[in-house]
Amino acid sequence: MRVLTDAEMKTVLDKLANYMSDLKSLIAPLEDGDRYVFRLNHSRVYYVKLSIANLATSISRDALLSLGTCIGKLTKTGKFRLHITALPIIASGARHKIWIKENGAQPFLYGSNVVKAHVGRWSEDCPEHQGCVVYSMADIPLGFGVTARSTAEARRLDPTGIVCFRQSDCGEYLRDEDTLFAS
Amino acid sequence: MAPTRTVKNKHAGGGGKSSSAGGSSSSKSGPKRSSSSGVSKPKSKSGPKAKLPATQVKGRPNLPGLDKHKKKKARVYTEKELGIPELNMITPVGVTKPRGKKKGKVFVDDRESMTTILAIVQAEKEGQIESKIMRARQMEEIREARKAEADKKESERKAKLEDTKEVLRRKRKRNAGGKDGKGGEDDGENIKAYAATGTKAAKPRKKRVSFAAE
Repeated sequence: MRVLTDAEMKTVLDKLANYMSDLKSLIAPLEDGDRYVFRLNHSRVYYVKLSIANLATSISRDALLSLGTCIGKLTKTGKFRLHITALPIIASGARHKIWIKENGAQPFLYGSNVVKAHVGRWSEDCPEHQGCVVYSMADIPLGFGVTARSTAEARRLDPTGIVCFRQSDCGEYLRDEDTLFAS
Repeated sequence: MAPTRTVKNKHAGGGGKSSSAGGSSSSKSGPKRSSSSGVSKPKSKSGPKAKLPATQVKGRPNLPGLDKHKKKKARVYTEKELGIPELNMITPVGVTKPRGKKKGKVFVDDRESMTTILAIVQAEKEGQIESKIMRARQMEEIREARKAEADKKESERKAKLEDTKEVLRRKRKRNAGGKDGKGGEDDGENIKAYAATGTKAAKPRKKRVSFAAE
């Protein structure tokens, strides 16, 4: 386990900024004087309390399976890929949101994109190809994706037209069970 | 008899003999060596015999000097020294490391530096999103303007069509009213003429006018 480098940190935050409006809250000091930090182990980035990260230094890299919340993976080409495990963090400060109806929740959780017919509500002034968090109508985060059209364009779209391209959904906890937490 | 003896001698200690003979009597050792080499060539290449040519070389004074000269000449240049352009290989963007930089990683652990990076990233992202929204709005405005223009043109075209229709109808009525008193023959001819020309009845007149102008 190690601290992220300058470039790695920038890449991670850049990806998070696609979905979140307020990044400062991520590293804001907590009431007990502790704070959250980012740590890297086996090319996975973890979001963890500093006190726990300090305790984890007593465990060797190979023996350390996971700590805190895994938010994603740094690829060998230097890019960052968000995992579904980062959803609670992203959802807490989402920039753009899409609420999908009951009939659209299952197709989304099975891995398909969001079509216009399934959309219950969406945030205004959302541009094209912008990260958004997908919620159910009961405000439960189901996953996240990238908008296919801007809000204005999406209004004129057919009911079968794709509004949001799926990036990750809660169904991955079952579908990618084997590869999600260990490579 | 003589060749068999020489072979035995060679196995026993040909090397020693040759080395001792090298200095004292070259005339005696010379033929013996040649005979031995003539009998079995492959064995002359083995360890102790391999030194034989070296003793022969020692006899020549200039050879070692020549060897040194050759070594100096055979200098091997690396690709960097020659300045040859590198092969066109594919290296992923993230893997390339800038040259001349200090080795090792620069970690970000303190809150200040992290906040700085965070602020930079957020400002960049905000700018990007803002520009995206602005561009989308502009495109939307342009699209609206084009649509409005197309609608206007369409309505104008329709109005023009209606006008021409109205004019034609009026003309037809006038003609019908004027020829009512004259009789049925003219009326029949008039209908025939309309049927022949169809709706493009006004066009021939226009042509006539244009030809008259020329």
